[in-house]
Amino acid sequence: MDLLVHLENAGVSLGGKPILRHVDFDLQPGQVAGVTGPNGSGKTTLIRMLTTLLRVSEGAGSILGADVNSDQVFAVRPSIGMIGHNPALIDELTLRENLVHVVRLAGLAEERVDPVLEVVGLDEASDRRADASSFGMRRRIEVAHLLLTRPRLLLLDEATSGLDNSARELIDALMDRTIGDGGGVVMVSHDHQRLDESCDEVMALSSGRLERAR
Amino acid sequence: MSFWNQTLEIARVDLRVERRLGDTLRIVLPFAVVALMVFPLSLGIELATISRIGPAVFWALGILFGMQVALRQSAADTQERRDLHALLGVDPAARFVGRVLSGGVLMLAFLVVLFIAMVLIYGPTLPSGYWPTVLLGTVLFSIGLTELGTLAGEITAGLRNRTALASLIVAPLALPLVIGASQSLEALSRGTGILPWVLLMLATDLALAVIGVGMARPLEEATR
Amino acid sequence: MTRIRVLFSVAAAAMTVGLWFALTAPPDSLQGEYSRIINVHVPSLWLAFLAFGVTALGSIMWLWKKKQRWDRLASASAEIGVLFTGIGLFTGMVWGHAVWGRAWDWGDPRLTSTAVMFFVYLGYIALRNAVDDPVVKARRSAILGVVAVVQVPLVYFSVNLFRTLHQTQSIRPDGSTMPAEMLIAMLVNVVAFTILYVALMAARTDVARLEEANRETELLAGDAVKPPKLSEVGDV
Repeated sequence: MDLLVHLENAGVSLGGKPILRHVDFDLQPGQVAGVTGPNGSGKTTLIRMLTTLLRVSEGAGSILGADVNSDQVFAVRPSIGMIGHNPALIDELTLRENLVHVVRLAGLAEERVDPVLEVVGLDEASDRRADASSFGMRRRIEVAHLLLTRPRLLLLDEATSGLDNSARELIDALMDRTIGDGGGVVMVSHDHQRLDESCDEVMALSSGRLERAR
Repeated sequence: MSFWNQTLEIARVDLRVERRLGDTLRIVLPFAVVALMVFPLSLGIELATISRIGPAVFWALGILFGMQVALRQSAADTQERRDLHALLGVDPAARFVGRVLSGGVLMLAFLVVLFIAMVLIYGPTLPSGYWPTVLLGTVLFSIGLTELGTLAGEITAGLRNRTALASLIVAPLALPLVIGASQSLEALSRGTGILPWVLLMLATDLALAVIGVGMARPLEEATR
Repeated sequence: MTRIRVLFSVAAAAMTVGLWFALTAPPDSLQGEYSRIINVHVPSLWLAFLAFGVTALGSIMWLWKKKQRWDRLASASAEIGVLFTGIGLFTGMVWGHAVWGRAWDWGDPRLTSTAVMFFVYLGYIALRNAVDDPVVKARRSAILGVVAVVQVPLVYFSVNLFRTLHQTQSIRPDGSTMPAEMLIAMLVNVVAFTILYVALMAARTDVARLEEANRETELLAGDAVKPPKLSEVGDV
């Protein structure tokens, strides 16, 4: 079975400073990996490296079959989905318009927007501008977008922080769907209980190094 | 989604955001008109001088305030949004062209209104049949300045003081556009050909287009 | 709504009377028919000064009493003031071009100051549009409204402080320089424009009040957000 992610001795430096060092990491299809660590340990950098948006400074490996040291990564980016710290919505557009924008850029049919808004519970609230919507509502739009684009590799960086239970359950459902499709999930969180409940393995980042925690 | 569909979608959303924010027409344009009035007040009120410098002041203010129009998109661009576009597989060149398209439309509207204000306030003596030359110059000026502004916005993405820094990058590089646009009107007044000046602006626009499209991907990767 | 309809009906009647006076008064001996523009130009600027004065008053009262109706008054008056300053400037440029051969007269500080006033209040409106929170909006624009009103006396008295090509003030304490019929026509139009201002103010403040009421009764975002349909996630 091809690994979704395979990293050998990977490292990332930013501004000349090493942030991640000697990272060995494999992610199987259907696997949920958790990452924890103190503030400033490089968790977000790890996530961004896995998106291929941050290129490795050293080491080797592949993400969704693309060599991390080559331009092959551009081709696999549409198969990677991320929920980061801040929702990537355009403030001046409504929630629905933001989703339509994403759907169009992804080359998907606009007809799929309204059904997915209903699934995430925003069908009556989607005409609000993004800057007039709560954090939770903006998160739900991100989930809606990922439900439509069906990424094979799902990366969650503190995705459930500040969310109510129903929004958290929605993200759980997104994770389950990704796993069910044969994809994989990497989840960064400070919530150890959540990591224990959701993840097949949990790793800890410390001083830029990734070590298995359990 | 095809390159052109992505381009048009980015331009469409940019213009929709501008329609809701209204920064260009409600803030930058009035500010530019006030600046049009500051020049003669600081020079004194000799009418002949005011009439003569009108077109030159227009192009100078066109650069200075046009930069604000050209840079407003990149000023509002967040890292999260750039990442989202990259993960959606949006071609960086399509982003560049889309931004130039929407910015160019706004810039053209801005400059046309500013030109009318200049004519009313300065009362310049313009050569007969000046409108086609002014329009052509304004179109080429708009395209070039927007290309420069979009490029400068990408180069300075994520940096502290990016707006001031981007302005500093754009201003000197926009000189061929100012020279071409202002001299084409002068040439028309003198009765000499405007072609060299039009070609100067066209060459500038084409060079910036090639650089913008060609460097879009390296720029995107360099600004992470 | 009836009150506003009545006001607009009275304003329409007054404007019609003003128009009749403007068209039947004898033209100026030097400026000819172009002098009739004075019946729009002067009332527009008078109305602009009135409007900005009301904005200042509304701003001061808001800062003192913190009642939203003063903010509605100030902002409605500023919007109307910008409109009529624009009309005044435009008619002034038309008049100037017709009479002196140039639309803009750099020798006239009043014209320049009026244009500056126009942009100051455009800035006031832009400031209000940039703020969502109603209290923050009211506070910031109230402070700007008080500062901006300094422009109004400056415009009106500048013609007495600087030499100008423009006409000196048509109405001076020691009597008018205008023929009686022209003066009457202009004063009738000043009254007509003032009635129009009152009607516009009534309508605009009414709209503002309704917008505020609508915002307060609008569903809180949370009310419109429903629980997700988790069982349908797989079908998307």
